[in-house]
Amino acid sequence: MKDVLEKTELTIGYMPLTDSLPLLVADAHGYFQEQGLDVSLQQEVSWANIRDKVLVGHLDAAQMLAPMLIATHLGLGGIKKPMMTPFAFALNGNGFTISNQLASELDRIAGCNVMADAALAGNALKQLVEERRQQQRPVLLFATVYPYSIHNLLLRDWLSANGIDPDIDVALVVLPPSQMVDHLSQQNIDGFFAGAPWNSVAIQRGVGSCLLASNDLWHSAPDKVLGMTSAWAEAHPNVVKALVRALDKACRWIDHNRQQAASIMTRYVNVPEAAVLPALTGQFTYRTEQPPIHQPDMLVFHRYLANYPWAEHGAWFLHQLQRWNWAKTDIDAESLVRECYRADLYCEALGHHTLGEHLQQGLSFRHEQPWQLGDVPMAATAFSYQSSL
Amino acid sequence: MTKRDLPESDHPSGPSTRIMLVDDQPARAAILEQALIDAGCEVIARLSSAQGLMKKVVEHQPDVIIIDIESPDRDMLEHMTVLNQHNPKPVIMFSDEDDPATIEKAVRAGVSAYVVDGLNPSRVKSIMAVAVARFREFQALRGELEKTRNQLQDRRLMDEAKAILMKQKNMTEDEAYHAMRKMAMDRGQRLTDVARNIISVMNLLNG
Repeated sequence: MKDVLEKTELTIGYMPLTDSLPLLVADAHGYFQEQGLDVSLQQEVSWANIRDKVLVGHLDAAQMLAPMLIATHLGLGGIKKPMMTPFAFALNGNGFTISNQLASELDRIAGCNVMADAALAGNALKQLVEERRQQQRPVLLFATVYPYSIHNLLLRDWLSANGIDPDIDVALVVLPPSQMVDHLSQQNIDGFFAGAPWNSVAIQRGVGSCLLASNDLWHSAPDKVLGMTSAWAEAHPNVVKALVRALDKACRWIDHNRQQAASIMTRYVNVPEAAVLPALTGQFTYRTEQPPIHQPDMLVFHRYLANYPWAEHGAWFLHQLQRWNWAKTDIDAESLVRECYRADLYCEALGHHTLGEHLQQGLSFRHEQPWQLGDVPMAATAFSYQSSL
Repeated sequence: MTKRDLPESDHPSGPSTRIMLVDDQPARAAILEQALIDAGCEVIARLSSAQGLMKKVVEHQPDVIIIDIESPDRDMLEHMTVLNQHNPKPVIMFSDEDDPATIEKAVRAGVSAYVVDGLNPSRVKSIMAVAVARFREFQALRGELEKTRNQLQDRRLMDEAKAILMKQKNMTEDEAYHAMRKMAMDRGQRLTDVARNIISVMNLLNG
C-alpha cells in the first residue's frame, strides 16, 4: 500500500544557481507530480531569505547551503531552530575566480601558469601577499556568497593552509552571486568564490580567470542540500520521502543529459546557456581564450552517491565553524550530525538497504583515487592541500 | 563606554534608538522614516541602495537596520555579524523571547531587520510593528495603483479591438461592443481576453 502524503501542495525555495537543477528538472519533467506532489518553486534573492522563509513556514523546504543549515540548527548568532536534510543536491561545481591582473601576477611569481593547481597557486598567493605587505599595498579583497557556506569555509581553510590568515592577510566580504562579475569587472574585488554558472560568466565576459575549481581543492566536495525544519520533517515523513524520490530521479537524469539540463536551467534562471554549459558538461575553460580542460566531475549530480547526506561532510563543516570560533568547541559532533544529516531517511526513501553495511563504515577523505563502495563506483574524496581536519 | 553600549532598560527616557533604513523605494522609506521619528527613534541614515553598505554600518553604528526582505544585499549584512559580534544580528535569529507571529508578520509584509544585542525586546517589537504597518500600507497603495493601471490598460485593449471590428466588419462602436460581449459569453472568456484575441489575430493576418 502506498504511504499517505501528509500534504500535497508545497512551496520550495531555490537560488539562481546551476546546482538548483534537481528542483528545476523535477518540476519541468513532472517528477514531483509522479510522487503525488504539487510543488511550486520560488526563486529567492538571498540565503538569508531562504532561511527566514523556511523558519516561518512560507517555504516548506528549500535549497540550502549545508553549513547554513548547521549554523541555524546550532543557533549561531541567536535563536536555535532544529533543522535537517535528507538529501544532498550535488558534489563540486564552485570555483575561485580572480581578476586577470591578479592571475598574471601569480603567474609571474610562480614562473608558470598556476591555474587548477592548489599547491602552486597557494604558494604564489602567499608570496604575493607578502610582497604587497612590504610595498604597503592594500590587502587583496575576495568575496564569497555567505559566511556559513562551503565557499567561505573552503577558501578560509585553503588560505590558512598556505600561511595566509583569512582575517588579517586578506579581506573577505559577502556579495550576491549575481553581482560578483560586475564587482570584479569594476575592480571592487580581486576575486570571488561562487557557484556555477558565475565563474563561467566572468571568464566568458573576459573579466576574470578561474584560479581553482572547488574540485581542485577537494575531490567530491559537498555543497547544497534540501533543507527543512526538523519539526516540518517530523510532521510530513511521507512527503520527505516522496521529495527524495523525485529529486533522486531528477539527479540521475541530469547526470546523463547535461546539454538538455542546461536548456532547462535557462527556462528558470536568467543566464546565457553558454555560461551554464562548461560546469555542466565538464568542458571547463579556466581562462578566457584558452582551450577547455576536461573535468568530467566538475559538477556531479547523482553518481558516486552524490545525494547521500554523509555525516562526515557535516562533521567537516562543524569543525570549520568551530575553528573560527563561530561555533562553540564543546558541541558533540556526532549527535549534531545525527540530528541534521538524515541519511536514514534517504536510504528509507530509495531502498538503499543493501549498501547498509558499507555506509555504516562512513566516508574517509583519504581516497586519492577512484574506489568502490560495495558495487558503487566512487570518486576520490581527498583534499589536494593540508585541510585542518 | 559609548552611548550605544548603555542598556536601554536603565534609561527609560534615555538615548533614542538609532536606525538605518535600506530601501530602493524612496517613497516607502520616506513614509517609514517619518513614522519612526514619530515613534521617538532617530533615523541616522537612509540608503536607497546597498552601495557602500558595510562602510556605512561601521560609520553610523546603528542599533537597528531595517531592510527590504527582497534585497539581495541581506547576505552581506549577515556576514557582518560574523565579522564583529557587536554588529546588528538578524531579528529572526535574535528573537529568543519574541513570538513567532511577529516574525511571520514581518516576513509577510516584506520587512527584515537587524538589531544589536542588548536592545530592549519590547523596543524591537514596537519598531518592527511600525515598519510592518508602513510596509503594508505601501503595499496596499501600490496594489491600488496597479489596479488603476490595469484598468486603463484593459480600456485601451478594448478600444483597439473595437476599432479593428468596426473597420473590418463595418460595425458601429456599439455593435462591435456587443459582438465582443457575445463572444466572451459564448466562450466563457473575460472581455479583455476576447479583445486580446482579436488584436493578436489581426497582428497575425497583417504580419
